Amino acid sequence: MDCRIKELSVIADAETQLIKITEDVKRVVENCGISNGVAFVITLHTTTGITINESLPCVEKDIEEQLERLIPSDYPFHHNHYLPSYGTIGGNAPGHLKSLLTGNHCVLPVIDGKVKLGEAADIYFCEYDGIKKRRYMVYCMGEA
Amino acid sequence: MVIDTHIHPALFAPICQNEEHFAFRCNEMNYHLMKPSDIELIKKQLGLAKIEKVFLLPEDCSYEKGKAAISNEEIAALVSAEPDLFIGFAAVDPRNDDAQAQLEDAFSRLGLAGLKLNTAKLKIFPYDEKIKKLCEVCSRYHKPVIFHSGLCLEEDAFARYARVADFEEPVAHFPDVNFCLAHFGWPWVQETAALLIKYSNLYANTALMNFDGPVQLYHKVFKEDMGAYWVEHNLADKIMFGSDSPRIRPARSKKGLDALGLSADVLEKVYYKNALKFLGQEE
Repeated sequence: MDCRIKELSVIADAETQLIKITEDVKRVVENCGISNGVAFVITLHTTTGITINESLPCVEKDIEEQLERLIPSDYPFHHNHYLPSYGTIGGNAPGHLKSLLTGNHCVLPVIDGKVKLGEAADIYFCEYDGIKKRRYMVYCMGEA
Repeated sequence: MVIDTHIHPALFAPICQNEEHFAFRCNEMNYHLMKPSDIELIKKQLGLAKIEKVFLLPEDCSYEKGKAAISNEEIAALVSAEPDLFIGFAAVDPRNDDAQAQLEDAFSRLGLAGLKLNTAKLKIFPYDEKIKKLCEVCSRYHKPVIFHSGLCLEEDAFARYARVADFEEPVAHFPDVNFCLAHFGWPWVQETAALLIKYSNLYANTALMNFDGPVQLYHKVFKEDMGAYWVEHNLADKIMFGSDSPRIRPARSKKGLDALGLSADVLEKVYYKNALKFLGQEE
C-alpha cells in the first residue's frame, strides 16, 4: 500500500463561509498516483470544518443560518476571555463549536485514479473563524 | 466609512522579516502564538468591517530596551506602501536626550501624523516635563497625541503611570493639541468620561478589549459603567472607534459597538467623523 499527502490553502471572503473545494480535491487525487484506495480530506484547524453536501446556494444558506441559530455568535461563551497564552481575547468560540458539527474531515473512495462522489455531492471547506489563510490536507492511501 | 484608530501592526508581514526582532517585539507587546499576515490578507480582514482607514501605532521604549518594538521607520514604510489606507503615528522614548529631535524628524522627514505614547510602558507620569516637551513639538507641528490610558496588557508596564486623571495636565496645558485617551482609560472609564466633557481637545477611543466578548464588554462599559445615555447625549462628538488589533479582530470589535443600539448619526461620528476631526481634517 502507498500513501500520498498534499497540503492546499484557502482564504475565505467572510468570517463564515462554505468554500467549495471539490475540483481541487479531484485534481490532487488524480495526480497523486494512487489508483484504488481511499482519500481523506482533513482540515488543519480547529475552527474550520470539512463536509459534503449539495452545492445549491439555498442549501448553503440554510446550513450557515442553521449553524448560526444553533450557535449564536454573541452568546457569552466561556472562551470569551483574555487568554494570557496569546495576549488576545478568545473571540472564536462559535468557530470551535461549529467545527464540532461538521467535523474536521471527509473520506472518499478512490477508484481507477478518480475520487468517487455522489451525483449531488460537493466537498466544502467550512470557514467559521475567518478571514485567515487556512490549510487542509488531502491524504490518499491505496494501490499505486 | 470606518476609521480604526487603534491598530498595532506588530504582525504585518512586511515588518516581520527579521525573526529575532519579531520575537523581541512579540515578547515586549505580549503577542504570542500568532503568525505574521501579509497586507492583502489584512486588507481583506479590514474590509469585513468596512474599515477604509487605519491609525498605525508604533511602540518605542528604546531608552530601556535598546530599540523600538515597532519603529517610526517601520510605520513610515507601511504607510508608504498603502498611503490611502494607513495613517502612521510616531513614537519616541521621552527619556532619550534626543527625543524631541527624533519626533521632529518623524513629523518632518517621515511625514507621520501624530504622536503615540504609552506612559505605562515607559514608566513615566503623563505630567512629567519630558512629556510636556514632546507635546510642545506636537503643538508646533499641529499634530495630535494618542496616550495609552488605563491598564496595559504588555509586559513590564504599570497602570499607575497611566491613571486617567493624570492626563488632565497635558490636555489642559496644550488646548491647541488634540489628545486621545486610548482604551477609554479602562478601568477608569468614568474619569475618562468626566475629562471628555470638560476638554474640547480631548477624545477617547474604544480599544478596550479585556473581559468577555465585544458585545458584553461594550454593553458593560457604555451602558452600565456609564449612564445609559452618556454616549448618545453627551459624548457623541468625543469617542472614536478603535479595535486594539491584534488583541481582537476589528470586525469583531465593531460588532460589539453595532450592538449598543446607538443612533445612526452617533455611529457615524464614532466610526469616522470624530477621527477626522481629531486629525484636523473635519469634513
